[in-house]
Amino acid sequence: MKSQLEFRANSAHLLLTLTDSEFTMKPAPFDYLTPQTLGEAVALLERFDNEGEDAKIIAGGQSLMPMLAMRIARPKVLIDLRRIAGLDYIREEAGVIAIGAMASKRSAEESDLIRNSQPLFHAATSLVGHRQIRNRGSVGGSFAHSDPASEYPAVALVLDMQMKAVGPGGERLIPADEFFVTYMTTSLEASEILTEVRMPVLPAGTGWAIQEFARRNGDLALAGVALSLRIEGGVCRQVRMAAFGVNPTAVRLPAGEAALEGQAPDAAAFARAAAAAAAALEEPMSCIHAPGEYRRHLVKTLAERCLVEAAGRAR
Amino acid sequence: MAIEIPKLPEHMHSGATRFIGRDVKRVEDPALVSGTVEFIDNLDIPGMLHCAILRSPHPHARVLKVDTSAAEALEGVAAVLTGEDARRWSNPAYTAPEGWGAYCVAVDKVRFVGEPVAAVAAENRYIAEDALELIRVEYELLPPLATPQAAMAPGAPVLFEAHDSNVVQSRVYNWGEVDRLFAEADHVVSNSFRWNRVGANPTETFGCICQWDLAENSLTVHGAYQTPRFWVAARAMALNLPSNKVRIVSHPMGGSFGGKGGPRGTDISALLSRKSEGRPVKYIEDRMEYLIAGFSQSWDRHYEASLAVKADGTVTGFKVRLIDDQGAGTEGWGTISVAKPLAAFTGPYRIEAARYDTVLVATNRAPSGAYRGYGPPPHFLVLESLMDMTARKLAIDPAELRRRNYLRPEQFPYTTPAGNEYDSGNYEAVLDKLLAMADYRGLREEQSRARAAGRLIGIGVASTVEPGVFDWNAYATVGVPGIGVPEGVKLAFDVFGNLTVVVGFTLQGQGQYTVAAQIAADYWGMDFNAVKVTTAATDVTPPHFGPGGSRLGVAIAGAVLGASQKLEDLFCCVVAHVMQTQPDQVELMDGRLRLKQNPAVGMSVAEVAGLMLSRADLLPPGVEPCPEATYVWTAPNRTMPDEEGRCRSYLTAANATHLVMLEIDRETGRTDILKYFIVDDCGTRLNPGNLEGQLQGALAQGVGAALYEEYVYSDDAQPLVTTYVDYLIPTIHEIPMAKKDFVVTPSPFTPLGAKGCGEGAMHTTPAVIHCAVNDALAPLGLEIRETPASPRRLWQLLHQAK
Ligand SMILES: Cc1cc2nc3c(=O)[nH]c(=O)nc-3n(C[C@H](O)[C@H](O)[C@H](O)COP(=O)(O)OP(=O)(O)OC[C@H]3O[C@@H](n4cnc5c(N)ncnc54)[C@H](O)[C@@H]3O)c2cc1C
Repeated sequence: MKSQLEFRANSAHLLLTLTDSEFTMKPAPFDYLTPQTLGEAVALLERFDNEGEDAKIIAGGQSLMPMLAMRIARPKVLIDLRRIAGLDYIREEAGVIAIGAMASKRSAEESDLIRNSQPLFHAATSLVGHRQIRNRGSVGGSFAHSDPASEYPAVALVLDMQMKAVGPGGERLIPADEFFVTYMTTSLEASEILTEVRMPVLPAGTGWAIQEFARRNGDLALAGVALSLRIEGGVCRQVRMAAFGVNPTAVRLPAGEAALEGQAPDAAAFARAAAAAAAALEEPMSCIHAPGEYRRHLVKTLAERCLVEAAGRAR
Repeated sequence: MAIEIPKLPEHMHSGATRFIGRDVKRVEDPALVSGTVEFIDNLDIPGMLHCAILRSPHPHARVLKVDTSAAEALEGVAAVLTGEDARRWSNPAYTAPEGWGAYCVAVDKVRFVGEPVAAVAAENRYIAEDALELIRVEYELLPPLATPQAAMAPGAPVLFEAHDSNVVQSRVYNWGEVDRLFAEADHVVSNSFRWNRVGANPTETFGCICQWDLAENSLTVHGAYQTPRFWVAARAMALNLPSNKVRIVSHPMGGSFGGKGGPRGTDISALLSRKSEGRPVKYIEDRMEYLIAGFSQSWDRHYEASLAVKADGTVTGFKVRLIDDQGAGTEGWGTISVAKPLAAFTGPYRIEAARYDTVLVATNRAPSGAYRGYGPPPHFLVLESLMDMTARKLAIDPAELRRRNYLRPEQFPYTTPAGNEYDSGNYEAVLDKLLAMADYRGLREEQSRARAAGRLIGIGVASTVEPGVFDWNAYATVGVPGIGVPEGVKLAFDVFGNLTVVVGFTLQGQGQYTVAAQIAADYWGMDFNAVKVTTAATDVTPPHFGPGGSRLGVAIAGAVLGASQKLEDLFCCVVAHVMQTQPDQVELMDGRLRLKQNPAVGMSVAEVAGLMLSRADLLPPGVEPCPEATYVWTAPNRTMPDEEGRCRSYLTAANATHLVMLEIDRETGRTDILKYFIVDDCGTRLNPGNLEGQLQGALAQGVGAALYEEYVYSDDAQPLVTTYVDYLIPTIHEIPMAKKDFVVTPSPFTPLGAKGCGEGAMHTTPAVIHCAVNDALAPLGLEIRETPASPRRLWQLLHQAK
């Protein structure tokens, strides 16, 4: 029998209907496998997929473990990526920054390369949870998890990031706007592993900002905005804005971008662009902390504040 | 010889005090920081089973059928407990008023989401959880009652069929000529307020291991119990056991704040042990269970209140109507929180008359429990908010309005209209010190500049009284009988003269073991680290209650001093006999029993203890070879309540005034605390470090209640807050470190002049923050009268105003 219990979580926003037993807090039984190579891991995924068995990758466990403990996720098999060597690099390759999926968020936060060459990604990383979570949580895990309130998907849209996936058929690059499908769903295939995320070095002179509104320091955002822009010849160019925490996945804010493109970087233009961006949003999600209308207003406020901040950085 | 407990540290006659009042390092801390404390979840007993509990997903339903056959058949399951077992072997929880408790496992019906409907004992927790998934329960849904208004509506279904309505108690208290004072008032300031559910959230949830000895028909319980003796009596009643056959061994706790409930967890584990041939059964409440169905929720209140005010700002009358949502019965003792405000109803003010109109209602929310402060914090939010509304109406500075209405030092001891007696205080001195420390004038100037720039800056000043050292008579009005809350210690010297202080309670964080050691060490002239403070099971310790009602610091001081004096008298007899003189010629000074006439001649305490235990031939006739003494302290001069509930209940009245400056972000509704100041007066400060911790910790919980925390229910009584993703306890990033100072007005009634102060800032912080939020909103003509003042609520208020 299905229960009436509605489990609402700030990060979930979804109403899950749980069975009576899902009050329990300890995981249902699962097998735990630790492949030593990427090839082995992909082969395992493929095998379980063919057999119709629900196998799941575990990286840092920061999102998956609570879901297991509450029996919201009940995979039959867990495949741990942590024994696979060489997936935790952070490096620059010809103007592109590549981060291995298993690099911890903390290592990205402490990386001088990221701090100096991709400050927007760096700032986003510092907003993820608390230090303890950034220590354990992987960079790749946040992309694969595709939480609507996560900072990274929005940054990925602003920066036109690419995700590298490895599957039985080899390797492919997925652009950000095709990667995040909806609430906690990506375009990764069941037997694919995310191995790397790629982003350009931020061109000199680009203005950027990321701001979010969360109830407490470290909480998932109720709403957030990330953006970048250039100021050329006294007007705003290449404006890229995205919001998170408001729709089932991070979204670009094209109405805001269009409203600002070619405008002088002044307070009135920023206010107009922010208002246009917020007004064009699809109906935002609601939860006990923030009804949809409030979230929409937050996007407007944050967008406006971000534009001021980014313009201050642009040269 | 009568025991006379020193009223001030200076009156200690056995030498200068070296530890009392000093910032000594706490004796509790080395074990805590090195991880050697044995919390209940660390304990394994051979043969132990693990319990998991199946809980109702419905707020209100008949339980038609519970099929446990598949669960029983699962390998590793030892026993499955159902409502039938509970009915056969146990009784519904004892409550006050009587008859509003349920069986530990639902019998016939469930009344809140999370109520246990069955439980499993298995070889490990995983198997136990798996077995829960195999239990089939058939329910017939009943209409859920999510609010007291719904529960009081004509024709509403009755939750407890033994009663003909859902009103647990409806009672009006009249103290003085309220109607006349309101009629004669120049102004009446009235408003409604909504305090939403908040509650205790200790780091450690409840846990226990129960073992039913089938041969002896007795029960031994290891667990995290705040007040073990109290629960022994209640368990004996619930489980049909003689009270001397229930024994609780309390383990150190990772906090409590009143939320360490556990009666159901204990009874369920006990019955599972009984059902599995007496094997020990461990139950560790998990966080979701705690949040949904533990004693995690308190104070769900709908208020209407008014002040009668003279043109000059003198407040003469105070009326409160309270509708209190108790949740599904009163097993959590939430009724007490409605009674406790009687102990300090009119706060620090000289208000002549008051009325308290209370309706306690059962609904399908979780039963409400105890929480730090146990009732007055919402009451003071109402009173202090009305004071600020009065100040605005009369255009008097809020600090000045309070000053005009404070009780004056010469009025103490002061009997309030609601009957309790305040021991001492100097409220104006506290206010003066606070305003000077905060540079109140400067802050107000800063505020006007910020306002001119369009910023929403608010300043709050709030004063409260903390009823300290509770006695049962304070709760007589809701059906709790009795006077006297015994707190006993045993002092025992061994043959080498080392001292052990045996107390009846265990570690919980506040540092009472340190206070006991400080006092004993000063009395006996010993090194403070040489005193060992320990606890024992309920069946061997002297009568005791433990922490609760801001009493233990005072009570333990009284008990240690009383026992010390008894023992000193005994030692004087022994030494007098050895020295061939009279006992009154011998005195204890700086750790030696010496001759008053010839102080160079004497014996050390260790020598006397050693002699008593090893040279019986030297003892005076009739003296036992036992250098030990027990003393049980309780507050003196408490009285039975009259027909209006008036009595001398809480022994002490500490007080505090807080000042906060905060800013509201107009666009997001977020409140940031900019500055926070506290001056308090809790009489003699026995341990400044403990006090600092108590104040800062209660301030944190107050910030939570004021701005962040709330147990939200849907319209159909489903809990919408089930994890810490939604129950927002503020963190170190959100909580200000207050700048603190103090005034000392010793209590004339207590050991060493100390006052109860354990709940402290919880009384004042929610009030002062709401006063400041409303001060910030005042230029816009807006006001929030609901807790918490969350960003969403403030945004909606600001947004609607546009
Ligand atoms: C208190 C708290 C606060 C948090 N706050 C934030 C926040 O503010 N912002 C934010 O973005 N996140 C936040 N998080 C989530 C956190 O960042 C997680 O670490 C992250 O979402 C997942 O990373 P992980 O390595 O722990 O992945 P896991 O939990 O191990 O896995 C998450 C999901 O991703 C899949 N997965 C992981 N790695 C791969 C891979 N390489 N290929 C394919 N699939 C993969 C898993 O199968 C699983 O479905 C918070 C978490 C907590 C507990």
